[in-house]
Parts: sequence; C-alpha cells; structure tokens
Amino acid sequence: MSTRPEVREDARLIFAMGGGGFTMEPANPLLDDFVLSLTRAPEPRILFLPTASGDTAGQINAFKSRFSHRTCVAKHLSLFRLAQTDRPLEEIVFDQDIIYVGGGSMRNLLAIWRAHGLDRLLVRAWETGAVLAGLSAGAMCWFQAGVTRSSGAPEPMEGLGLLEGSLTVHADGEPERLPVWLAGLRSGAIPGGWALDDGVGLLFRGAQMERAVSSRPGAEAQRVDAIAGELVRRRLQPELLLSDGPNTVLGGRDEAVEELRRVHRLQRNMGRRRG
Amino acid sequence: MGRDGTLLDDYILSLLAGDRPRVCFLPTASGDADHYIVRFYRRFAPHCDASHVSLFRRDQGTGGVEDDLAGHLLSQQLIYVGGGNVLSMLGAWRAHGLDEVLRAAWRGGIVLCGPSAGSLCWFAQALSAFHGAPRPVAGLGLLPYSNCVHYDAEPARRAEYHRAVREGMCGGYAADDGVALHFRGTRLQRVVSSRAHAGAYRVTVEQGRIRERRLPVAFLGVTAPSHAREPVSAEAREAGGGDSLKPAAAALVAA
Repeated sequence: MSTRPEVREDARLIFAMGGGGFTMEPANPLLDDFVLSLTRAPEPRILFLPTASGDTAGQINAFKSRFSHRTCVAKHLSLFRLAQTDRPLEEIVFDQDIIYVGGGSMRNLLAIWRAHGLDRLLVRAWETGAVLAGLSAGAMCWFQAGVTRSSGAPEPMEGLGLLEGSLTVHADGEPERLPVWLAGLRSGAIPGGWALDDGVGLLFRGAQMERAVSSRPGAEAQRVDAIAGELVRRRLQPELLLSDGPNTVLGGRDEAVEELRRVHRLQRNMGRRRG
Repeated sequence: MGRDGTLLDDYILSLLAGDRPRVCFLPTASGDADHYIVRFYRRFAPHCDASHVSLFRRDQGTGGVEDDLAGHLLSQQLIYVGGGNVLSMLGAWRAHGLDEVLRAAWRGGIVLCGPSAGSLCWFAQALSAFHGAPRPVAGLGLLPYSNCVHYDAEPARRAEYHRAVREGMCGGYAADDGVALHFRGTRLQRVVSSRAHAGAYRVTVEQGRIRERRLPVAFLGVTAPSHAREPVSAEAREAGGGDSLKPAAAALVAA
C-alpha cells in the first residue's frame, strides 16, 4: 500500500454534491472551481472516475472540457476501456490531489471498485490527504447509506461508510427518492443524514460537516433524523458561491498560489491564440 | 460482429434451432457502450429475435430489457457477452445476480458465447491484462480450465500466460485473434477460425515444465458452411464466440 503518510483527521476532506458540476451544469463552473480550491497544490492533479456511468464518452468529454483549460492536471481513469497505461491502479490513485467521482449506478460503482480493489485504494487516498469529491452516486458512496435507482426504482443502498449517516441526492430533480429515504429513516433501516438538491454540496472535514455551498440560488439542503420514531427535520441554508470570489476554505487566500494560477492561465491563453 | 467476425457469428447461429432464434446481448464489459449495442442489433436483428440487457442507466430506461432480467435471460437460445474489461463485468454481474443466472442458463442448455472478456468469463481462471502486469483473475468457473485470448496480438502475451500457468494457474486454452473454442459441456468439441493460419493451444504444466500443444483449427472461410444445424438439448450445453470489440479481438466459443 501507499507509503504516503496519513494526515490528521481534520485534513481529510470529502465534498459531496446532490447534483451539479460539469456533467450536470456545463455552463456553471462554480462547484467545480470550489472543488479545485479544496487543495493547496498550485496545480492540482485531479482524477475523474466515471465508473458509475460505465465510463461514458459524454462524462469524460464534459470533464475534459471543464478542466483542461483550468490550472490543474486533469486525467480520468477508465475501468472498462482497455488500459491506456501500464501504471498500476495504486500508483495512479496515490498520485492525486483530488479524486472526483461521477454519477450513475451506485450499485455498479461499488461492485466494480471492489472487483478492482479500488475501494480500499480510495479510502487510503483520503487518509493520506487526497480530496474526495463527487456527485449523486459519486457522493452517496462515501456515506453509510444512500438511495439508489441502480435497478430503476429507488431503494436504500449501503455505501463505503467513510462518513457517518446517509445521503440522498437530486432532492428537487428526482423527488421520488425522498419517500424511500424517509421511510428508511423512520424504520431505522437507514441512519439519519442529509437530502441535497441539485447544485448543493456539503464539505466534510474528517467526520464533521463543515459547510454547505450551492451553485444555484434557491437550492436547499436538509438534515433529517429519526428521534424516538419521529422524523426531525432541520433546514440548512447553503452559501451561494460567487463566480469571481476566492471561495477558499483554506483560511485566507494564498497570494502566491493565486499569482501562479493567473500566470498559468495567461500562458495557456496565449498558447491557444498562437496555436 | 467485427470485420472478420461474421464467419464466427454465422457459426454460432448455426448451433441454434428455429428461423429466428432468441439472442440476448450483454454489453456489460464495455460499460454498455452505445456503439457496441448498435453494432449488435445491426448484425443480429435481421436474423434473430434480438434483445440486450444493460446494467447501467436503468433509471433512465436503456431501451433494453428492464424487468425480470433473470426470466428474460433464461428464455434465450443464445446469450452473447461482449468484450471489454472482465473484472468490471464480473463485479457488475455479481451485484445484479447475473453470475447465478448465467450458470443456470448454461445448465439449462442455453448457448453462451463471447469474444475477449466474453470468453474469459466462463473459465475458472483467466489472464487479464489491465493496469499493470497481466494477472490471473477468477471467472465463473463453468469450464475448469484457464483461458488466454489475443494470444498472438501482443508479443509478451504468450510468455505471460506460460509464466502464470507455471506459477500455479490451472492449465487451459489459449486462442489467437479470430479463433473460437467450442465447448460442449466441459469438453472442447471443435476449434474454428475466421482467419486462415490463426491458432489455438492447449497449455499445461508437466513436471514443472510448460507444454504447449497446437490444436487443429477449422478455418471457416474455406470449410463454411459445412456445419450442420443441430438442435441444442439440455445435455448439449454449448457456447459460441464471435469477434467483436475490435476487428481482431480473440474470440472464444465457450461453455
């Protein structure tokens, strides 16, 4: 396994989105820029895992068009197409600052990761400081449980359990998941957790939910727990991200990093114009 | 389904009774790639009652079979498994219970076939080259042998298979691109090929040394279509393979 040192619990980040980002909001980069802001790396290495979709060209192309012009090293990892590289999975996964998981079938996602041993590698990547991010199936997978439509009708599904509680996604876009989730909470089959609209993301630092952000005005999040058989709901007000703000969570902006990113952007733009 | 896979596909169809045999495509190993599904229908829909089962995007409707996957698969005459990644395919199958369905299909006399990953999956072990050195992976184990495909496609593949068998993988069958192994029950019945001079090999280890024996191969381009239509009974479990993912993918008739 990795020789990278473990990081302290409060340096382990997971960003879970109810929907949004490059696959769902091609014209709105707010959530994806927020993801990039979660690492201190001047030029973050970001790896996209489109496993839950079956590695569709659509998701991979959307990833490239979002990130290839940003200051980062963007690659994707396919578990279906024949290997583009001889590098072992372990080496690829442990060489990242951010791992971004796309949406699709949560059931297939976890089963295929397990078949390749990737579930264990991702846990290790998180423990050693890589930011884990994702939407929909790629968000629910980090929790104890989610609500999947992998077989058509919504049903509860166990996740990897890095984060306590449950998550249900697309609360506004696919409201048919909610009753299944609430019934599971009431019966005790699913632990209490969060329901997120499309465009809302929760940032977890270690086990703690630290921040709720949103790319769309009006998008909501709620926390629901069953207490003595009664559902107790609490509404969260996500912060609307700003298109030109630093959106940083790292405690003040790093001028040197900002400067470097500006220079890189400039160089790339000039390169494109010349090309 | 590949450029020279037509001969192998015709061979498989010759094993099925009736004018329009029921044929179902499982494109799991490709991640249910649209272009592959389209190619399957183009090839099989004119002659068969063709369908497919997708394990992705089931929430959006896949155009494939949606309800009672097991019932649908068990009512087929042929299940055609597409190429791609064998580990990802087996993982997804297990998650949906299709591994058990396919075992039942084989026991019930349904012909199982496929190229590449669609060949490897039927064996006890298979050599899979994916991210790093090729290594043995466990298949469904219907056939108590190992399997290596694309045997001639990459220079190192043969040496890697020999090494794996020497190091403890069970002995088995290797096939060049365009070659299909046709099993009845667990016995190899015939080896057919869509390409002249392509080979298939029985690889075993004897007293610590690799023994590779070249098997007789019937080239379908010359001898076709001499294969008679034979009815498939429950006792006569067979499987065929067709060349599909790439024009020169190693095909394997198995089961």
